[in-house]
Amino acid sequence: MFELEVAKRHITSNRRGTAFTVLTVAVAVGVIIMSLGLTEGTKNQIIENTVEKNPHIVLGPKQNEGYIHLYRNIERLLSSYPGAIAVSPRLVVQGAARHKDKVEGIELVGLESDKEERLMQVQGNLLAGNFSELKFKKKYAILGVKLAEKLDARPGNDVYIYFRNNSAKVSVSGLIEKGTAKDSSLVYISLKTAQNLVGEGDVVSEIGVRMEDYTEAPVLARDLEPTTKYNVESWQEFNREISRFIGTQNRINVIFYLLIFLIAGFVVANTTIMIVRRKTKEIGMLMAIGATRSSIMEIFILESLLLGLPAGLLGILVGIGFAQAIASYPIDMSSAASGVTMLMLDLRPEFIIYALIFALLLNISSAVYPAYLASRLDPVEAIGNE
Amino acid sequence: MSDKNIIEIRDLTKIYKNGVDVLAVDGVNLDIKEGEFLAIVGPSGSGKSTLLNMIGLLDTPTSGTIRLKDVDVTKATPDERARFRNKELGFVFQYHHLIPEFSAMENVMIPLLIAGKNKDVARARAQELLDKVNLNDKLNNRPNQLSGGQNQRVAVARALANSPSVVIGDELTGNLDTKTSNLIYELLRELNRKLDQTFILVTHDMHMAEKTDRILRLVDGKIVCELKRQGDGFIESKVCDLGEDNGKIRRV
Repeated sequence: MFELEVAKRHITSNRRGTAFTVLTVAVAVGVIIMSLGLTEGTKNQIIENTVEKNPHIVLGPKQNEGYIHLYRNIERLLSSYPGAIAVSPRLVVQGAARHKDKVEGIELVGLESDKEERLMQVQGNLLAGNFSELKFKKKYAILGVKLAEKLDARPGNDVYIYFRNNSAKVSVSGLIEKGTAKDSSLVYISLKTAQNLVGEGDVVSEIGVRMEDYTEAPVLARDLEPTTKYNVESWQEFNREISRFIGTQNRINVIFYLLIFLIAGFVVANTTIMIVRRKTKEIGMLMAIGATRSSIMEIFILESLLLGLPAGLLGILVGIGFAQAIASYPIDMSSAASGVTMLMLDLRPEFIIYALIFALLLNISSAVYPAYLASRLDPVEAIGNE
Repeated sequence: MSDKNIIEIRDLTKIYKNGVDVLAVDGVNLDIKEGEFLAIVGPSGSGKSTLLNMIGLLDTPTSGTIRLKDVDVTKATPDERARFRNKELGFVFQYHHLIPEFSAMENVMIPLLIAGKNKDVARARAQELLDKVNLNDKLNNRPNQLSGGQNQRVAVARALANSPSVVIGDELTGNLDTKTSNLIYELLRELNRKLDQTFILVTHDMHMAEKTDRILRLVDGKIVCELKRQGDGFIESKVCDLGEDNGKIRRV
């Protein structure tokens, strides 16, 4: 295997060329690692800030029906699915609330607080009050913090809520801040109270489901709809914008990586061509003493390939370093995605593998053309004895 | 020197087509015997290097044949030619073209490694050859740590690595001073005698050519004179145009 020996010597003797190739590939790999890590981190944060603020699956009434009637059966069915970690029936209607002379439109949500807590971890968003009290106190209500402001209502105040011709007097027991537009319309009351107000009997309007892994939700939703005949949607459907944004971002990233590949590839190829030029006489001599064309090609491809691994590893370190530096600076992203105030870094182990494969592919493919040129040299011209 | 022909060249012609046709070698017929020590001389542009490159399978003829050890090598594929060059031919050029990153020993090992010999065998053979060219104390020196003459001796050792049928030298002392050139020629002469090694050398230095057994003069791609050694002098062929070199060669 003299090809490997010659390739190794080329690398160790041409320190500048080697350093240039390694650095080029390392920077390319670094940029990709950084981009992968930050994209993944930000994507996860956006998902957490939106997807995780809603149930992963929402089951609604059948077509032409306003409510879900035998919801306890459906609830049991949904709970039996592996991967479903919380199921909460809700009665959601649009109504109004009045406190003294102030009236506001509201989204009234009747729920069973223990189930809803498992579904949405509501207590964590409460500014005041105890969410579990809703289970036992039929006249308690938790108001969105902005709604309470508009109504000028504080915990302990009585508020009237209206649905069509019915009304009920409830006592504000807590305030909730979700950080979304719902803060100015949301009213949580117990399911029983809501059912009495709506007057349709023991019904709900939707059942929320939380999955162990949110990515499984679209699959389960597609599976549930035909078997139950209910209208089933996953977060993908009601956050269509976000899933489209993530999809677009992924496609843009692929184009971005291809461009990096091309640019770095040209730089590496150019460096290799320079090496081939400088080694022309040596190549001619190797051919004269019996090296075949494929051996010559092998020398230059091996040379580049041997640099791929160290370049890839260095690039990973560079990328992680840069990504952490960038992620440690607060950048206001709230205009792009609510609640995202920092670029988050999420370096999954497979990114390291991708980066190494990228480095090796980059090195091999950018060496092919220069190596081919070297192998096609005419030995007489290469040696240039005359 | 045996009576057996190691190389038989028939009607060998090379035309370079670079817009205008240039006839570099014009219908050359030549037999070279095993163990012969042969010089090809001639003015520059006479086609001597072209002829040598074709004999060395570095270049392909436009027409005619070259038989090396009874094999018509003009029909060989590039890979077959590479194998022939590795096993049957040795090259020494004007500039040594040693690999600068390799030691003398490693440079001599390369043709052996290309031939598929394992490292230990190659190392032992390289050592033996460097010993033959009196460089056994410079085995681990790199080309930049050796003089021009020493590098050329390494190149000679490399040319001999696979015990080739023919060693080809193109102006191999062109870069060396007279004293060093003489030493190299004496070395080649000694190897020729000891190993019965065939050498074909291109030179424009008649003084060097005189050390060989046979001198061919090439002008415009044709052999115009042949001088054969007899004792201390040379006998020339019937028709002989020695051009500007006329009279410099001792004739019988």
